Amino acid sequence: MRRIFNMGIEHKKARWGWFFVIPSLAFFAVFSFYPIMNAFYTSLFRKRLLDLRPPKFIGFANYEYLLKSPDFWNSVKATFIFTLGTFIPIVVFSLLLAVFIMSRRRFHKFFQMAYYSPAVLSSVVAAAIWLLIFDPRGLANTTMNTLLGTVGKDYKWLATSGMVRLSTILVYFWKYIGYFTIIFITGLASIPQSLHEAARIDGANGWKDFWHITLPLLKPTTVLVSIMSMLQCLKTFSTQYLFTQSGAPTEPINVITLNIYNTAIRDHNIGRASAMSIILFGIMLFFTWLQFRVSKSGGEVDY
Amino acid sequence: MNRRLVLVLLIVLLSLSLVFANTIELEFWTHEDPNRTPLEERFIEEFQEMYPNVVIKRVTQSSSKIQELILTAFAANQGPDIFNMSIEDEFAYIANGRVAPVDYEAAGYKDMEDLLASYLPGTLDPVDYEGEIYGLPLEITNWCILLNKKVFRDAGLDPEIDYPKTWEEMMEVSEKLTIREGEIITRRGFDFRYPYYLVAFMPLVEQMGGKLVSDDGKTAIINDEAWLNFLDYMAAWGPNGRNLGSPTYKNARSLFNMDNNDIGMCTTGLYQLARIKADNPEFYDSGEFMVVPFPQFEDAVNYVPAHYYGHYYMVNSQKPKENQEMAWKFVSYMLSHAEEYLEKVAIIIPTNELLESETFKNYPYSDVFISDLEKSTVVYFSESSAKIQSLIKEAVESVMLSGTSSRDALDTLRRKVQEVLDDQY
Amino acid sequence: MKTIRKQSVVVDVLIWAFLIVTAIVILAPIVFMFTASLMPSKDILKMPYPWIPKDFYMDNYTQAIRGNDGSFIYPRNILNSFIVAGAVSLSTVLLSALTGYGLAKFPFKGRNLVFLLIMATMMIPFEAIMIPLYLVATSLKIQNSYVGLILPFMINAFGIFLMRQYLITFPDEIIDAARIDGSGEFSIFWRIILPNSAPAIATLAILTFRSQWDNLLWPLLISQSEEMKTIPLYIVKFAMEKHTNEGAMMAAAAIASIPILILFLALSKYFVSGASLHSSRKG
Repeated sequence: MRRIFNMGIEHKKARWGWFFVIPSLAFFAVFSFYPIMNAFYTSLFRKRLLDLRPPKFIGFANYEYLLKSPDFWNSVKATFIFTLGTFIPIVVFSLLLAVFIMSRRRFHKFFQMAYYSPAVLSSVVAAAIWLLIFDPRGLANTTMNTLLGTVGKDYKWLATSGMVRLSTILVYFWKYIGYFTIIFITGLASIPQSLHEAARIDGANGWKDFWHITLPLLKPTTVLVSIMSMLQCLKTFSTQYLFTQSGAPTEPINVITLNIYNTAIRDHNIGRASAMSIILFGIMLFFTWLQFRVSKSGGEVDY
Repeated sequence: MNRRLVLVLLIVLLSLSLVFANTIELEFWTHEDPNRTPLEERFIEEFQEMYPNVVIKRVTQSSSKIQELILTAFAANQGPDIFNMSIEDEFAYIANGRVAPVDYEAAGYKDMEDLLASYLPGTLDPVDYEGEIYGLPLEITNWCILLNKKVFRDAGLDPEIDYPKTWEEMMEVSEKLTIREGEIITRRGFDFRYPYYLVAFMPLVEQMGGKLVSDDGKTAIINDEAWLNFLDYMAAWGPNGRNLGSPTYKNARSLFNMDNNDIGMCTTGLYQLARIKADNPEFYDSGEFMVVPFPQFEDAVNYVPAHYYGHYYMVNSQKPKENQEMAWKFVSYMLSHAEEYLEKVAIIIPTNELLESETFKNYPYSDVFISDLEKSTVVYFSESSAKIQSLIKEAVESVMLSGTSSRDALDTLRRKVQEVLDDQY
Repeated sequence: MKTIRKQSVVVDVLIWAFLIVTAIVILAPIVFMFTASLMPSKDILKMPYPWIPKDFYMDNYTQAIRGNDGSFIYPRNILNSFIVAGAVSLSTVLLSALTGYGLAKFPFKGRNLVFLLIMATMMIPFEAIMIPLYLVATSLKIQNSYVGLILPFMINAFGIFLMRQYLITFPDEIIDAARIDGSGEFSIFWRIILPNSAPAIATLAILTFRSQWDNLLWPLLISQSEEMKTIPLYIVKFAMEKHTNEGAMMAAAAIASIPILILFLALSKYFVSGASLHSSRKG
C-alpha cells in the first residue's frame, strides 16, 4: 500500500521535473547542441568559408594536422599559461576578499561596488583604458617608476613576451575579481548565521571559524567559482584580440580562441577552425570533469 | 488545421509578392566613414527618384569589423548585394566566384575596353580575373610621408632641405627629432605604419631586391640578404636598438593631426589632409606640414614607393540578375561623382577624368602623391594575404621587441609562409 | 586575554588596509577613465598623469554623444543595450530558477545526464558556433531585431548551475508542507521557491546583465542598422574614427558606464540583505 503511494508520488515528481527542465533543453537543442554538432561535422571536412564547391570529406586529417602543428601547440601553451596564471589567483583572492568583506560590519556595499565596478565596463572599454595605461608614456610606467624609484624606465608592458602575458593576466584579473567575489559572497550568505554563532559559543575564534565552518560549507561555491573562472580563462578572447590589434606581439598571447578566430575569419579555413574548437571543447570538458572528481562531493553538501 | 494555415499563408505571400514583384531591394554594406555617409545617403535618394522601384538599404560597420560581418553573411549565403572592403580582403570573393563581373552596359560603358580606358592604367588590375573585371574602385590610396615643419625647426632642421630622402637619413633625422625621458620616448621622429606590413614595409625589402613570393608563386622569401638588411634595420629602430619607436606606441597618424609636439613624421595617404582639416582646422590653415615622397634605401636596386591598395565596390553573384544589374547602375552612379568624393572625403577614384581635372590638380600635395602612385605597384594580395601579413608582423615584432636574431626570424618566417603557399588550394 | 585582543586589533587593521588598498588599485583605472574624459587629449599622456582635470573639458562628452556623423544615435544604442540586457536577465532568471529547481528537487530518470548536457554547453566556445548560429538566426528571419539579439541568450548553463546549487539546500519540509496544503507544483515554484531565492536571483541577474552588456561578437553579426546597435558596437565604431582623441573615447566609455554603475548601486541592497534573508528562513 505504502509502496504504491510512493511510486505514484515519484512518478508525479518525475513528470514535474521534466516539465520544469524541458523548456531549457529545447532551447539548448537549437542554440547550443545543434551548432556544436554542426561544428564537429564541419571539422571533418576540408572547407573554406567562401568556397561554393561541396567540401571534401577528409576524416580526422584536420585534427592530425593540428596535433603536428607547432603553431597550435604554441596556442595550447599560451592558453594554459594564461589560465593557470589567472584563475588560481582569482579564486584565492576573491575568496579572501569575500570573507574579509563579510567579516566587516560596515561598508559591505561600498567594497562590493568597488570590486565589481570593472566588470560593468565592456571589454572594448576596458581594453581602451588599459592600452592607454600600458602605453610607454602611460600610467603603468609612471606608477612603477615612482614605486620602484627608477627614472624613465620603460617596462615594455606590451612588448616582451613575458610582460605582454602578464599584462593580459592583469587586465583579466582586474575585470573579473569582483565578479567572483560576489559569487563567494552569495555563497557565504547561504551559510546560516546560527552555525557561526554556535561556533562562537564553543569558543572558536575567527580563524577557526573560517577553517572549520566557512570553508567546508563554502565548498560547493568554491567548486563553482573555480570551474567558472577556469572556463572563462580558457575561453578568453577579447583582451588578447584587442592587444594584438594594438601592436602587442601575437605569439605569446595567441590563445586557442584567438587562433580559432584567425583561422576562421582571417584565413577562411572553417574546417580547421572547427577542429580546433572541438579540441578546446574537449579540453574544457576534461578539466571540468577533473574538478568534479577532485571535489567529489560537488554540490551535495548537507548542513 | 496546420495545413490549411500554411495554405492561407502561402496564398497571402504569393499575392504580396505579385504586388511587389517590381520592387528591387538592394543591401549595401560599407565601412563607417562619417564624410561619406551624407554624400552617399544623398546619392541613394537621387537614385531612388530615378528608379522608383528600387529601395537601397545602406549598412555601415567600423572598418576593423566589416570583414567579419560580410564574411559570415556570405558563408551563410546571405551576403549583401553591394559591398566594399580593401582588395586584400576582397580577392577571395573573386577567386571563389562569390561576386559578379561588372555589367558593363548597366555601369554605362560600351564594353570592357571602354571601362579600362576610363581609369588610370593598372588600377583595375587587382580585379581583372580570368578575362573579366569584378569591381569598380571607390578609392585607390598610396602612402607618402607627412611631416610637421614645427618639429623640424624645433630640432634645428630646415624641413624643406633636411627632409629624409633615404631610409638611412630617416634614421638620422628621427634621432635628431626624438625626445626621451629615460628610455621612454615623448616625441618620436617618425612612426612606421604598423601593422600594414604589406603596404608600407614590403617596399623596403623590395628596394633592396627582395621578394615575398617568387614569380611563379611557389617559393616564399626571395633574396635573404635583402630581407636580413630589412630586419636588421627594424631591429636597429626598435627599443633594443636606437630606440626610435615601436609598435606599442600610439599610432602616429592621428597624433599627427593634434600637433602636440609628440610626432615629427608619419606614413599616410591623401585622405589624411581632410582629417587634419576636420580635427584641427587651425593646424591645417597654418600650413605647418608638408608631404614628401616615400624614402628609398641609399643602395636600392629598385625604386619602390609604398604599395597602393584599393577599395572596390563588388556585387553579390548569388543575387538575381535584375538585382545585379541595378546594383552596377547604382555603383556607377555613385562613382560618377568623383570630384565630390575628392573634395568632401579626400579619396581618389582613379578615373582619368578626375586625375586631369582642375579640382585634382589644385588639391594640396596631390602632385606628390600622384608621382609616387605612378611608380607604385599594387599591394600583394591573395587568398592568404592576411595570414602572410600577420606572419611578417610576427617576424618584425620578434626582432624589434623580443631580441630574436634576424636570421632566426627570417627562417621562421620562410617556413611559415612556405607552409601557407603549399596549403593553398 | 589582552594579547588576543591586541592581536585581533592588528589583524583588524591589516584586513581594513588590505580591503582599502585593493579597492584603490581596482578603482584607479576607472577614476582614470572619468578624469581623462574631462581632459583635452594632449593632457592624457602627460608624464606624470595629472589626476585632476584643469578645467572641465565637456567637449569630449558633446563629441561622444554627437557621434562621428552627428547622428546622435548613441542614446538609442544605450537604450538598446538596456533592453537586450534587461530582457535576457529576466528570462535567464526565470528559466534558470525553473530548471534549477527541477534539477535540484525532482528526482527523475536521466536527471544527471540532463544536468551534464546542460553543463557541457558552458564549454562551447562562441567562436566555434558563430556561423552555425548565424544560419539558425537567418533562417528564423530574426536578424536586425531585438528578438535576434535576445533569443540565443535567453538562458545559460551557468544560471541553471547557480540556481541548482542554491536550491539543493532548500529545506524539503517547506515544499512538502505546501504540497500537503494542496498547492500545485507551479504555484509552489512561484510563491515559495522564487521569493526565497532572492539573493541568488539578484546575483544571477546582475551577472547576466553584465555579460550581455559586454556582448560584442553576436550583435556585430546580427544587428545591421544603426538603430539596432548596442554600446560595444558604437564604441568600436567611434574608436576607429576617433582613436587619437582619447578624451572623447573615455567620455564615450564613461557615458556607457554611468547608468550601469547606478543600476548596480541601486540593486546592491539585495546582496547585503541576502545574508539575513537566508538565515531567517533557516531559523
